[in-house]
Amino acid sequence: MDVDVALFAFLSDYQPDGLGGRSARAFHLSPGTTVADVIADLKLPDQPRIVFVNNRHADEAVALHDGDRLAIFPPVAGG
Amino acid sequence: MPEPLQTDSEMRARLAASSVAIIGCGGLGSNAAAMLLRSGVRTLTLVDFDVVEESNLNRQLYFRDQLGRPKVEALADTLLRIDPDARLTLVRERMTEANLVGFVRDADVVIEAVDGAEAKAMIVNVCMRELPTTPLVTASGLAGVDSANSIVTERPCEDLYLVGDLTSDVRAGLPLLASRVMVAAAHEAHAAIRRLLGFDEP
Repeated sequence: MDVDVALFAFLSDYQPDGLGGRSARAFHLSPGTTVADVIADLKLPDQPRIVFVNNRHADEAVALHDGDRLAIFPPVAGG
Repeated sequence: MPEPLQTDSEMRARLAASSVAIIGCGGLGSNAAAMLLRSGVRTLTLVDFDVVEESNLNRQLYFRDQLGRPKVEALADTLLRIDPDARLTLVRERMTEANLVGFVRDADVVIEAVDGAEAKAMIVNVCMRELPTTPLVTASGLAGVDSANSIVTERPCEDLYLVGDLTSDVRAGLPLLASRVMVAAAHEAHAAIRRLLGFDEP
């Protein structure tokens, strides 16, 4: 299955193509892959993050489906 | 999502009947609270466990004679000087996953205005999960001296408004400057006002 993955802010450095930027990239994933699996495969740092699937807030345990759009956003400090 | 209001009187009435909960009364929250009140939102819940410190005075809406006072109480005094009839609920508690929702569930809009990245993520994740139909405004990336124009309001999903440049965290060389913090605070307050009036970000 194909899933679009967008990584925001400093997480964009972890896109496999190394090009950075927040635009989504197409990932080919096995059926049943979860958000947590994608996070582990990309070796994202263990830092606070917020996950959206298809423009809805999602838990990391959620399984992805063909055509889904996954976005991961890391808040940064300051207030 | 309410229909956009058109007349001044409709807008005033809507804002006067609305309530906003502000989690964190530092640089973002204290300034956003004053802007909301001056714009006509007269019911605010202010949540903060901290006291006013000297290091807050460079960007937060506090004064030297308020040092050592709980922030929610000091801020309430200032807000009541702006609008003596403001309806303020003060919560002097540290937010946790367990208590957060109870303090903000009745608000029409919730504003996340805390400092730490971990607390920001916790608040967004808990509010989006437990209060999925309550609009939430959050801020990320407001430190340093980059252009004020790089601070924007985005809407990554239906009920979440994301303010900031998304990247500039507080660290050496990226101080929190009053000018840029207040730009972000104004974005947060204005996102809440636009949502209350039925307008939306693209």
